[in-house]
Amino acid sequence: MIDFSPAEKSVAIEQITRPSLSYWQDAWQRLKKNTRAIISLYIIVFIAFFTLFGPFLWQVDPALQDLNQVSQAPALPKQALLSAAYIQWQRIVIQDFPAEPDSYRDQVYAPKSLRLINMATTQGVRLSWNPVVGAGGYNIYRNERYPEGFNDLGLPLGSTYAGNEIGYEDRLGLEPLTYYYSVVPTDGFDEYEVYSVLTVTPQLTITVDEAKARNLVSDTARPGDVISLEFHPLGTDYLGRDMLARLMEGARVSLFIGIFAPLFFVLFGIAYGGFAGYFGGRLDAVLMRFADFVVALPFLLFMILFKIAFGVGPGESGIIPMLIALVLLSWPATARLVRGQVLQIREQGYIEAARLLGGRDHYLIFRHIIPNTMGVILVTLTFAVPAAIFTEAFLSFIGMGVVPPTPSWGSMCNEGVKTMLSHPHELIFPALLISITVLAFNLLGDGFTEALDSRLRSRE
Amino acid sequence: MRLILAAQLLSVTFCCYGQVAATSVDYATQTITHALTEEPPQLNSMKATDQVSVEILGHVMEGLVRYDRRGNITPGVAERWEVTDSSATFWLRRNAKWSDGKPVTAHDFIFAWQNALDPKTASEYAFILYALKNAEAINQGELPTSALGVTASDDYTLIVTLERPIGYFIKLTAFTTYYPVRRDFYESRGTRYAADAKELIYNGAFTISEWVHSASLNMAKNPHYWDKNSITLNAINIDYITADSRAHLNLFIDGKIAHTGLDGETYKDALTQKLRINSFSTGSIFFLEYNHRPGRATSNINIRKAIQHVFDPAEMVNRVLATPGNLPGKSLFPVWVKGVSVRFRDEYPPPTATIDLNKAKQYLSDARAELKDIPPLVLLVSDSPIASKQAEYVQGLLLSKLGLKIVVDKQTFKQRLAKMSSGDFDIVGAGWGPDFDDVMTFGDLFASWNLNNRGRYTNPEYDRLVRVAMDSTVPKVRMDAMGELQQILFDDAVLLPQYEQGIIYLQHPKLKGVTRRVFGPDPDFTYARVVK
Repeated sequence: MIDFSPAEKSVAIEQITRPSLSYWQDAWQRLKKNTRAIISLYIIVFIAFFTLFGPFLWQVDPALQDLNQVSQAPALPKQALLSAAYIQWQRIVIQDFPAEPDSYRDQVYAPKSLRLINMATTQGVRLSWNPVVGAGGYNIYRNERYPEGFNDLGLPLGSTYAGNEIGYEDRLGLEPLTYYYSVVPTDGFDEYEVYSVLTVTPQLTITVDEAKARNLVSDTARPGDVISLEFHPLGTDYLGRDMLARLMEGARVSLFIGIFAPLFFVLFGIAYGGFAGYFGGRLDAVLMRFADFVVALPFLLFMILFKIAFGVGPGESGIIPMLIALVLLSWPATARLVRGQVLQIREQGYIEAARLLGGRDHYLIFRHIIPNTMGVILVTLTFAVPAAIFTEAFLSFIGMGVVPPTPSWGSMCNEGVKTMLSHPHELIFPALLISITVLAFNLLGDGFTEALDSRLRSRE
Repeated sequence: MRLILAAQLLSVTFCCYGQVAATSVDYATQTITHALTEEPPQLNSMKATDQVSVEILGHVMEGLVRYDRRGNITPGVAERWEVTDSSATFWLRRNAKWSDGKPVTAHDFIFAWQNALDPKTASEYAFILYALKNAEAINQGELPTSALGVTASDDYTLIVTLERPIGYFIKLTAFTTYYPVRRDFYESRGTRYAADAKELIYNGAFTISEWVHSASLNMAKNPHYWDKNSITLNAINIDYITADSRAHLNLFIDGKIAHTGLDGETYKDALTQKLRINSFSTGSIFFLEYNHRPGRATSNINIRKAIQHVFDPAEMVNRVLATPGNLPGKSLFPVWVKGVSVRFRDEYPPPTATIDLNKAKQYLSDARAELKDIPPLVLLVSDSPIASKQAEYVQGLLLSKLGLKIVVDKQTFKQRLAKMSSGDFDIVGAGWGPDFDDVMTFGDLFASWNLNNRGRYTNPEYDRLVRVAMDSTVPKVRMDAMGELQQILFDDAVLLPQYEQGIIYLQHPKLKGVTRRVFGPDPDFTYARVVK
């Protein structure tokens, strides 16, 4: 009996059943399993599309002011009535009534028959009332809800300074809302505590000339026609500029800094850190102390100095100095990281082997060292992008970045924060875009960290 | 002729709270608390130029005359006076005292005026004293200060020799630069004068009792003030100094301050809080001033005319500023300026340009033909949010209507002033607040010799008209000259009036008698009182 016999040669066992995976293929496979990272990737692709192709699809001039629709919230296109040209308001002064009362009275009656003259439109609301015996003038107020008493009359619109001047025209930022106008008689200086209220809802109108100038109507349009005003899907800002167009325009600035600044400083950091790490010794010590020195420089101060040093004149964009300042001040982090990696890899056996086989420095660096630090570098890059976007937003927010009328997400936030309570959409949209973009890049960076870590390579 | 600090200078502000009073108004102690937007930069009355300093000085100092609640001149340190074409005599009251009990004498005025004119003092407001004989020569360093046309025949009689007949001289003497300064005190303090509460001596209704820099400034009733019986308030406490308008509103809502201004944003919150909003017209005019220096594109009249025919002040006031109280600008002279018998505006209606795009384009093509190439125009504005908004509006308007490129140059108040003086702009957003109640406070602004004519507009005819109005005391002659001048300003499009400023504010309902002023300290709490 033979205890042992050679096993039958079987091809099946040695057959490679799965395709060989390179490092990158494997990383990509694992990244695909990370749902958060993939969603982030889609968001980034969408934002890139929004930035690059958005302005071709939504061809609205981001600097065009539409003063008929100032600070509008997102809404469907509004219908407006065409009106004839604005006619100058003539003060209403009646002759057979004294301008100043002959004697001071303790009290007077509230103005009677407060009424509208002409139709109330957003071009102007014209009021008139009957003169009040004893009045030396009138104060006109406007509120957006029914006044609950004498202290709740609302905005003081203006005054007339004669008892016989019994008309007033309001043109102040009129919107198609319901307004409550109050008229209070005065003795010329102080008010009597009586008032009359008139409820008015102005009709949204636009003059024919203006509608033509804005290409909203054909030449045959005439007053009385109803037309659609420009459509602003995300609303407008404080000068009636289209938010969507401005967000797209702003994205270009924000992403330009967000992509290019990290690209440049990471490249520089790789070169610097790689050099220091590979050659080591005293050179390394000197180079890294210089990196420490750069880390210690205050960013904001240098940003301001760069702006001056570059001679950025009035009304010129501070974007390029910002880019340069970011590159010059942000590289040490990458340099340190790459140096650490290189120091580690340099001592590995395969490097020694390659060197003994006669590999030159540049061969070792480009064939072995850099590819092995790629994972770290890629992760740094993805985390540097949101940081740079944030820096741009911050600098534009404090007014050191873009100049008007160019928007960036940061400067739009700065403008929006002033009207945060009354028109929140002006802040919410740019802030949301900054947040989403930054979050997406961060989650993608997390995904890369896991996917590119060779210790976690799939073993199944 | 104070240049207006359009709004707060800093976007990031530090707010330092001093000791916090229990309530904004207190009936029993007749004490009120309010807030300032900034620390008074200069309490030396000879050098003060800004509104905050003028406001504080108006409470703690008194000139020869003062304005009453209705804006009329009333006696101050001077009991009575007599003004002729060549001189003015003031009889000072004997019970006017400094806060250390010593009397206010004619010599205190002479010292203050001579010192303000001394070139070494470098007072920006020295020119307001030019009504006095030899004042200009002294200020230029050509004559010693002792040559000033003012003498004291005794401690209580001040005799002023005038450079030329000046119809509004008495109104000038209410101004800050005309306040008295006591020589022995001034000299004992040296450079520390007016730097702290104890470094200043007072002759007004109040004294500064405590001044914690950048935090609080308290004023107390002056026991030596001659008219102290007319003063009801015992103390005015400024416990908060911050430029943040929302902080002011919150302090008001919390009952910490009795009075606060509102801006385009905070007024909406005030409305929802159901607070009673008051409005007040400051009498200041805001305009775009062109650079007329040779070589500048804006020295071309056709460019200026083109802009004049597309800019609609009413649209700016109603749609862009959109806060109540502002009036569309029509001319350099605001609506309140008095004419011969009624308002100047009613007697000499300002010419206005119709908004006409075709005409504007015609002017612009003429300008292009003359200039060959129009470089982007630099629009210099202050760095306040409201100024930026206006600048962006003008930028968008001129680009969309005329295709004119504008670059906006935002600068801090000081920096903007420096650039205005050196002529480093094409268009500048400027404002002018009146200093005294006469048409001339605006009229000489574009005279060739006026240093505040930042665009260096020169027109011999304009200068001639200003001289006519200066040298005459006949109202009709003066106003006719100003009427013609108004026409020149329009025809030459020297400036572009934007708006007459109105402000809105909140005031505690129990606080009465606060005066809002076009001239002098504003708001004025001197005669205020707290009611039960």
